[in-house]
Amino acid sequence: MTTMTRRSFVRWAGAGAVAAYTVSLEDVVRAAQLQPLLPGTPILVVVTLYGGNDGLNAVVPYNDPVYHDLRGALAYGEGQVIPLAEGLGLNNALQGFKTLWDNKQLAIVRGVGYPNPDRSHFSSMAIWQTASRSASKTGWLGRWLETQPADPFRAIGVGSTLPPLLVGERRSGTALPLSGFRIPWGEIATDLSRLAVEIPNESVLTATAASSIRDLFAVADTVTPVLKKPAPPTSDLPTAIGGNAGGDSNISQQLDVVAKLIAAGSPTRVWSVSLGGFDTHANEQGVQIRLLEALSNSVTTFMSQMRSIGKSKDVTLLVYSEFGRRVRANASGGTDHGTSAPVFLIGERVNGGFFGEQPSLNQLKDDDLPTTVDFRSVYASIVEDLLATRSSDILNGWQSKLPLLSGTF
Amino acid sequence: MSSTERLAVSRLLHRVGFGPKPGQFRAMLAQGFDKSASEVMAQTPPSYVDVKVGLGIVDLGPQPQPNTETVVPYFDAKRSQLRAMSLWWLDQMVLQDFPLHERMTWFWHGHWATSYAKVDEPLVMFDHIDRLRKHALGNFTKMCEEMVIDGALIMWLDGQLNTAISPNENLARELLELFTLGVDRYSENDIKEAARVLTGWKVVRNSGLVTKNVKQSYFKPTTVLGATSQFDAVSLARFLSQQPNSQRFVAERLWFRFMSSSVALPIGSRVEAALSERELLPAMRALIISEDFTNPAHSLVKSPLEWLVGALRALRITPSTYVQPDALLNTLTTLGQRPFFPPNVGGWPSDQAWLSAASVQSQIQAAQTLCGRGDLSPVTQAPQASRLEALADWLGVAEWSQRTRSVLNTAISDPRRLTTLALVSPEYVVNR
Repeated sequence: MTTMTRRSFVRWAGAGAVAAYTVSLEDVVRAAQLQPLLPGTPILVVVTLYGGNDGLNAVVPYNDPVYHDLRGALAYGEGQVIPLAEGLGLNNALQGFKTLWDNKQLAIVRGVGYPNPDRSHFSSMAIWQTASRSASKTGWLGRWLETQPADPFRAIGVGSTLPPLLVGERRSGTALPLSGFRIPWGEIATDLSRLAVEIPNESVLTATAASSIRDLFAVADTVTPVLKKPAPPTSDLPTAIGGNAGGDSNISQQLDVVAKLIAAGSPTRVWSVSLGGFDTHANEQGVQIRLLEALSNSVTTFMSQMRSIGKSKDVTLLVYSEFGRRVRANASGGTDHGTSAPVFLIGERVNGGFFGEQPSLNQLKDDDLPTTVDFRSVYASIVEDLLATRSSDILNGWQSKLPLLSGTF
Repeated sequence: MSSTERLAVSRLLHRVGFGPKPGQFRAMLAQGFDKSASEVMAQTPPSYVDVKVGLGIVDLGPQPQPNTETVVPYFDAKRSQLRAMSLWWLDQMVLQDFPLHERMTWFWHGHWATSYAKVDEPLVMFDHIDRLRKHALGNFTKMCEEMVIDGALIMWLDGQLNTAISPNENLARELLELFTLGVDRYSENDIKEAARVLTGWKVVRNSGLVTKNVKQSYFKPTTVLGATSQFDAVSLARFLSQQPNSQRFVAERLWFRFMSSSVALPIGSRVEAALSERELLPAMRALIISEDFTNPAHSLVKSPLEWLVGALRALRITPSTYVQPDALLNTLTTLGQRPFFPPNVGGWPSDQAWLSAASVQSQIQAAQTLCGRGDLSPVTQAPQASRLEALADWLGVAEWSQRTRSVLNTAISDPRRLTTLALVSPEYVVNR
């Protein structure tokens, strides 16, 4: 086993009588290399927080007596948060977000959810990722992918399994394991490339199995050398952030890979990374602080890397979770599954500030927050103003959006 | 032999088992699907005597204090227990002629998906799986009654933090949503009431022993799904499992994993009807004798464990005595499906989620290595002219596509390469 280069693959592929099959593969590889993303093309990085991030303790109504009453020991008061405005403050772990906020590069959309919230992790995450209440098998960005030219680089999920948001019916994003790809070479590589060929009238699943082999060749070839390069520098950051603090968390590794590939000109419009562990039924405080710190530090580092390679104008990050948590704390020092929560949008194209109404703690329903913004409005803004696609096509007719992004491109 | 018959036998072997051992597919074709299906379903539950003793799965006592001399031996013992029981389970899947009960136990592991990652006690995880094994083809109600007070499950879902003063809903919610009824078949109030019923349970971490702390328990009557009663954990589990929606839900889950993840369970299916007494064996019988079982539309992607165990069976490789047993466990970890480690309480994903460039890569590596070490005689002994047929029969593939056939033909004189390609071909990765 060894890493196969594009050149050696072409040589092996051409060695047999299989030229007719390999042309299409070669085309994919060449397209990826000859058509790097044009400067100025918007790039979306989706950050999914799995488990249900406690929105109230991320963007904190620190002066609200109802909050203190219901949260008890879990509540943060004045002096324990980073004050923003309108009685809201950021969790102290989100230091990096404060800088983004001051630079008008952080939009906080408040009270985001959907009608009749589902408190199941799986159902709610499925609703967010498919933007559908029914059992849709396609993700919202998977449906966007189907409007795009076929290209395994177009959308990439970092991790060994593909998140549902990137799954389309006939065309899905590519899963990229953190360790990168190593593919076999020699005769078997030639054989495999032929196993990957599309044939008419086959089942969706065998067709997908074949295309996953195609993707391995196309992606491995271009990606592997890039991952070996050092990450883009973060010269404008103090070393406390760019250095060791939280730098070993998995999300920082994921964003590091994304940064390297963007720097290499990968023709990828949509990236997906994730951070898990937010299901804080017990001993929430320490856990959430650690996770938010990892999030804040890795995002700050990433944005700095984007500045150093001149891509900071192109990149926008979306940070969301499947739900927020119950306002009333439980007796285990944690919180149970809740409803709406803030969504973060980050980048130079973003209109910084608050959007949506802060859900009132005086209008709780069964101790749960009301929803003031439908998440599809956030998606619609992204689909239209970043991905330049009609939102109603992607979001099952949904059109309403928010002025989250400056449409200057 | 009709192509429908080949498809049915292929599905029987791969879905109700873990793929054929050498010769099994042909033998079943020879005696016909009906007789083969009866034979498979008539398997008596295996009796494992003194397995825990043999594997050294014993109570290690509470975790020692940091920086004491017992710390290192304690963690070594834990690791070796986990390794031993993982390989033992793989052995059962690989070595039994018709591992029906292990297949069903594996199904239920994904249903009551509890992970060692949080439980962190080999003995308690072993007992959890063994409890599932006991009821794997028995009665769903009895299974629920035992699982609701299973030590591993309680630890996994914070059951021991659930008290009358302040309920923790984690276990209650998943009991209704993922284990017995299905989503949207209860109200938020049902969750809150069920959480009260489940208060007060404590687990001794190292032994899994479950006890009830009366002081932390809620004892007033509760109302769940409109019924008010003096529920306790066991009677609640029984009550939930007796709901018509539970009958539907179990049928849906069996359908989803054994028939199709993309087509919904039809209304009024025989599978659902067969669950009227919550008996699981008749339900599985109904599933495999239904016309749907030979409907070409219902293909399923083999999950990583199913794929690997299938390859090991074909190649006659015994996991525990394999030259590098840990490499097998690592392959499963890389592919995202190591036993005892479901990713979350929803269990493992299905179908398309397993088909990525990343999994292809790991499967190619594993197939190349295993084909270099396993027994390839079913193809080496077949004349080249009939090797493709021998290969399909050996691996239990109903039919090669023209695409795969042409690739395999180029490797026809090289059994190792031929088998490697067959194992990563769309027709083997997907059970059609």
